[in-house]
Amino acid sequence: MLTRRELLGVGMFGAAALTLPPAAWGQGKKPWEVWDYRTPPVRGGYFRRSASLDVGLLNPNHWPVNDWLVINMFYEKLLITDGSFRPVPWLAESWTFPDPLTCTMRIRKGVQFADGEPFNAAAVKLQMEWIKDPKNGAWSAGWLKPLRAVEVADEHTVRWKFEEPWGGFLGIMANVPGYMISPKLLQDDPKKADTQPVGTGPYLLEDRSAGSWIKTKRNPNWWFGKAVGRPDMPYFDGTLTTIIPDPSVQLANLKAGKLDWMTLSKSQFEAVKGDPALAVYIGPVNHIRGYRFNHSKPPFNDLRVRQAVAYAIDRQAIVAGIEFGMGRIASCMYPEDHWAHNPALRPWPHDPARAKQLLKEAGHDKGLTVAGYIVNEVQSRARAEAVKAMLAEVGITWKVDELAPAAAADRMKNLDYQLAAGDWTWIYDPDLMASGLHHPTGGFHFGRSKNDAAIALIEKGRREVDTEKRRQIYWDLEKVLYDNCEDVWVFWEMWPSAYRKQVQGYDHEMTVKHKEIWAWSHPLWFKDGRA
Amino acid sequence: MAAYVARRFAYALLILAVITVLVFVVVRLIPGDPIRAAMQQNVDLSDRRIIEETRARFGLDQPIPAQFAIWLRDVVAGDWGRSLQTGEPVREMFHRRLPVTLELFVGATVWAWAIGIPLGVLGALRRNSALDVSLTAVAIGGVSIPAFWEGIVLIYLLAVVTQVLPPSGFVPFTEDPWLNFKSILMPTFVIGTHSAGFLARYVRSSLLEVFGEDYVRTARAKGLGEPVVVSKHAARPAVIPVVTVIGLAWGQFMAGSFIVEYVFALPGLGRMGVDAIFAKDFPVIQVTLMATAVNVLLANLVVDVAYGLLDPRVRVR
Repeated sequence: MLTRRELLGVGMFGAAALTLPPAAWGQGKKPWEVWDYRTPPVRGGYFRRSASLDVGLLNPNHWPVNDWLVINMFYEKLLITDGSFRPVPWLAESWTFPDPLTCTMRIRKGVQFADGEPFNAAAVKLQMEWIKDPKNGAWSAGWLKPLRAVEVADEHTVRWKFEEPWGGFLGIMANVPGYMISPKLLQDDPKKADTQPVGTGPYLLEDRSAGSWIKTKRNPNWWFGKAVGRPDMPYFDGTLTTIIPDPSVQLANLKAGKLDWMTLSKSQFEAVKGDPALAVYIGPVNHIRGYRFNHSKPPFNDLRVRQAVAYAIDRQAIVAGIEFGMGRIASCMYPEDHWAHNPALRPWPHDPARAKQLLKEAGHDKGLTVAGYIVNEVQSRARAEAVKAMLAEVGITWKVDELAPAAAADRMKNLDYQLAAGDWTWIYDPDLMASGLHHPTGGFHFGRSKNDAAIALIEKGRREVDTEKRRQIYWDLEKVLYDNCEDVWVFWEMWPSAYRKQVQGYDHEMTVKHKEIWAWSHPLWFKDGRA
Repeated sequence: MAAYVARRFAYALLILAVITVLVFVVVRLIPGDPIRAAMQQNVDLSDRRIIEETRARFGLDQPIPAQFAIWLRDVVAGDWGRSLQTGEPVREMFHRRLPVTLELFVGATVWAWAIGIPLGVLGALRRNSALDVSLTAVAIGGVSIPAFWEGIVLIYLLAVVTQVLPPSGFVPFTEDPWLNFKSILMPTFVIGTHSAGFLARYVRSSLLEVFGEDYVRTARAKGLGEPVVVSKHAARPAVIPVVTVIGLAWGQFMAGSFIVEYVFALPGLGRMGVDAIFAKDFPVIQVTLMATAVNVLLANLVVDVAYGLLDPRVRVR
């Protein structure tokens, strides 16, 4: 599934061309609470973007959702994340944990859903109960397992009760279950929510031809613009997302002036960067690219063999030669700009001699053959070819199958691999990835490893609600995984994107620095109010 | 003639029944669980309940024969199921996309005839001349050039460089006939040129064969002009094998539409099929492949009937 491009690509919610006045920090304002435009924003025009897949269902809790940028047009979350992926207020204003099993959350006043229903504590309670009710088929229900009850303390105060201390609670509310849907829609006709979204977001559904395009129109009652004294927000009259499966045809549309923004494929960057009509950027993305060991059987139940693989792979060469230089060499699983990443860790060096030595010590001096799979996709295939050659250099033959996602999922489930593709995308709350990959109950684990120290830290991290203590736990967890060479981490992803210069208000530096919170609070506009 | 058509129709129905069962079983035997794969890391897969409930919601928890029986019962009742990807009724998806693909086919046929038949006739009339060699090269080029490459080159030349046509997308005829014409021009040309190459080769060889017949020699010996010889004496017998090619081409258009609709972002049945195959969207794959089969069977049926009309010997057999 192509997929959740909701951060740096967030064109229409992008940022202002501003130089942040340092004084703003001193005035107690957060950097994203400043709108210091060089040219005044202009209302008007439809922002045109492309997507390779149709959005799918328009209730974020109903699978599948293929385009989260479209979802973000209609719906807003209780919390969103800042530049280091920490949850920060959005529809929720503040929160406290009076005890480890309770969170008291104040939500914003004066917010309405597009159907006129008020956004209040009762709406939050109804939605969470709706998600948890198995008959509603919400795929996000599993994320709310630790939630015991939601109580309405008053019109704008929600009291959350947990089964056990829940460290990831805020992170989950900054994720899918936190998208607030009209209670009327969920009560009266939840099926309609799959095709007729009703949220509090900056845009409303105007028209749609599933599989071809989806058109939105401006929400004139968007609470945020009014709250910050900029009632013209959002500045566009609407948006048009056209489904164009082929990346080169997307680019042709951009060059022909039929699109205002697109995420480029890496190979397109060089061809586009000199175009005078376009502004081109490269930004970090919270994905890790790497490979996964099956520790449950030889040869990767031996630390020395895992280390040999880690030493054999030349990460720099992969980023330079295959990723067109767009990637950050990874030292562990969480990206370098994520609060849970341990900055003391350094990437494994490329050292084929050491790799051979380790293989010899492990009794594989005559070579070794291992099997595995990757998902059949252009970049994955190219990376796998390079890794195969690097492993061959130290005497490891990697027999790798290129599979469709469905077949790869089966191989993973049946532990039918020794070394396989091990990417993880959209890393927000650290528990999802840690539990998913390294805890026996994790959805991607299937008994592939048993690292007791890591398991203990994961369980501790789930229960800890203090931010600083939680950070230390994940730093320790990364150290444990790193020392045990649990997996091979190659690089953290980067993506190029291009805007037509007609689009105003995008500040790349601030978008990279503050990410989601910046993008949501700084809508773009057209130079003359027209596309 | 009626008995002949009825016999052909019965064969077509039988083949369709076999294809229906085969498609249903084979797509389900492809390794991999569509629910698990599509959910990917978005779901806590340790919560097996969610997977099982989603699978049950789409009836994928039943044995394959039971799934087939349910599907057949629903199809007879007019319910073609829902897409696993979008939740939309497949019947609605099909009806919305069919006109796009049909327009593509009709346009491609026009291009194929407009290019292929004149090229073939000219080649036959100027046999072994420089013109014939050149036309042969053009025809082989039309057959050999991959559709996706031809499409991308055309988009670059006509949409990016000269900007005379839109790069991709589709505007319905009812919405704006002129924009509809512009949006369909490149994709129909890409499919049409592929078939035009074949058609030119068949027209040429068929005409050359007929030109060698006694009755054509007699017509020329009588002093008739070449246009009369070709149109009055050679065309009808020569067109019989060409009908086969035209029928085959109509069948192949569906295969072409899988690529061309993807490249030009046309919301037709071909792209619906490609998306469904990538996502293992069983109900949509089933309908798309059956539509492909029906298209080929219908094309063959029409060819058979046309044979009967053009050549009385076929009716007798």
